[in-house]
Amino acid sequence: MTGADVGPDASGSSPGRKLSQFLPRETVAGIIAIAALALAWHLASIYGPSYAFPTWGRIARALINIPLQDVGISIARLAVSMLLSFVIGMIFSTLVFERPFVEALLLPLVRLLMAVPAVCWVIFAILWFKGVEFRIFFVMSIVCTPVFIIDSLDAMKGVPLDLRQMVRSFRPDAVRYYTKLIFPSILPYVLTSWKINLTLAVRVVTIAELVGAVSGIGHGLVIAQEMFSIAEVFAWTVVLVLILLALQGLVNVIERRTLHWRTA
Amino acid sequence: MPLHDQPAIFDMADAKPVISLDRVTVRFGDQVAVNDLTFSVAGEEVVALLGQTGAGKSTVLNLILGQIKATAGAVIVDGCDPYADYYALRGKVAVSFQTDRLLPWRTARENVELGLEILGRPKNSRSRVAAEWLNRLKLTEAHHDKYPHQLSGGMRQRVSLARALVVDPDLILLDESFSQLDHVTSKALRTDFLSLVKGLRKTCVLVTHRIDDALEMADRIIILAVPGEIKLELTLSGAARNDPAWISAATKQISAVMTAHSGEGAPESADAV
Repeated sequence: MTGADVGPDASGSSPGRKLSQFLPRETVAGIIAIAALALAWHLASIYGPSYAFPTWGRIARALINIPLQDVGISIARLAVSMLLSFVIGMIFSTLVFERPFVEALLLPLVRLLMAVPAVCWVIFAILWFKGVEFRIFFVMSIVCTPVFIIDSLDAMKGVPLDLRQMVRSFRPDAVRYYTKLIFPSILPYVLTSWKINLTLAVRVVTIAELVGAVSGIGHGLVIAQEMFSIAEVFAWTVVLVLILLALQGLVNVIERRTLHWRTA
Repeated sequence: MPLHDQPAIFDMADAKPVISLDRVTVRFGDQVAVNDLTFSVAGEEVVALLGQTGAGKSTVLNLILGQIKATAGAVIVDGCDPYADYYALRGKVAVSFQTDRLLPWRTARENVELGLEILGRPKNSRSRVAAEWLNRLKLTEAHHDKYPHQLSGGMRQRVSLARALVVDPDLILLDESFSQLDHVTSKALRTDFLSLVKGLRKTCVLVTHRIDDALEMADRIIILAVPGEIKLELTLSGAARNDPAWISAATKQISAVMTAHSGEGAPESADAV
């Protein structure tokens, strides 16, 4: 396919014109960019050194042989630790929002935690804890929770005062105040926070598994590197990218469903 | 006939006050927002608190709502201190504000249901009751499931009023609820609202800076001026309300009092009216 196929000048009978009838122009442009990259890789694998640029065929064979159990383990670690971080983050931000004194006490610590690079936490976890799973959950939580705290707290503070006053005029208890006003108000920001944190979490879980685990995608990458199997490294990378895209897609679906009123 | 000699349509002596402010003062730092204010509102009475910006109207409203505490004096609403006994007035007081303050993620019907949800009313009846109130406020069914951004300003304010009325409160507070609407829409909404309030025999406190709002709706008008002091109090009869000469004289007098006190002018007693 060429750029001209999908351009405005393409004839009505061309395949590109048909494609653009089904897909948005931006999607078609994205497909073209990825196809161009794939082609460039293919050319590099023909003319470049094979240890650096494996052919698509080798990558595909490595992909087929990837142990699904490791993929499942990484996804489970990612999902559980993200959910845990989210719950802890929301509890903290609600507490801080309710009690300004807690904010003065805790927020400097949270900002300090955010300033520590993820790789340092991985090393700390290895030195501090024995259990592999606990190490990973610790690293994931300590990296992701502050992002949820800061984002949700900022969103809570941004809930308009006039809406707060309106809801308070009905004299709600704390649970109804939060479920009827605060949480629905911050939902768009929380979803954005999930998207940002997912990108971060995929990297962190990989690093944590890379140095501190005997299972999962990170561990698979270590094995591939030790065996000098560039095709396997690329296969694991493709899996990581696909996991991230799938999870972001899931958040996008939730976003479309819960925030459909914006486009009504 | 002098304005203050008009027969009252509401005899305060016979009615137990729903709202009572007794020598109330509110200070924010060094600033006095309300100074030694005393007035009461009887059940089923519609009272307008009229005054210019900074006259202390909203502070008085927040005192009645229990959102702020008086620095001195006593505020009693339906036998309770609205600040100290915050939950005692649950479902008994409702407010409609200057802006509609609708939740953007809820449809018109869902916005009206909000108060019912907070009060824990049964789920199966909420939607029906909300729709009934929207109909009473003359919002057609075609608009019930629309989001606030899909409605006009007048429609949104109707939803806001329905949200206040649906919980069947004893006391309704209106905070400049009609002031952001155009004249025609405001007039229509005032008429519809007043007819509902009178029909349901609710007590209503209307906070406004618009003299025509107050004269059209209130049984009694309290004119406040900086720093939250009563400068004039008028009782309106039905006959007076229909007398253009009386309305004109009242408008002039109220306007003169408000103007005199907007620029730290000399206080004017009600006897001057």
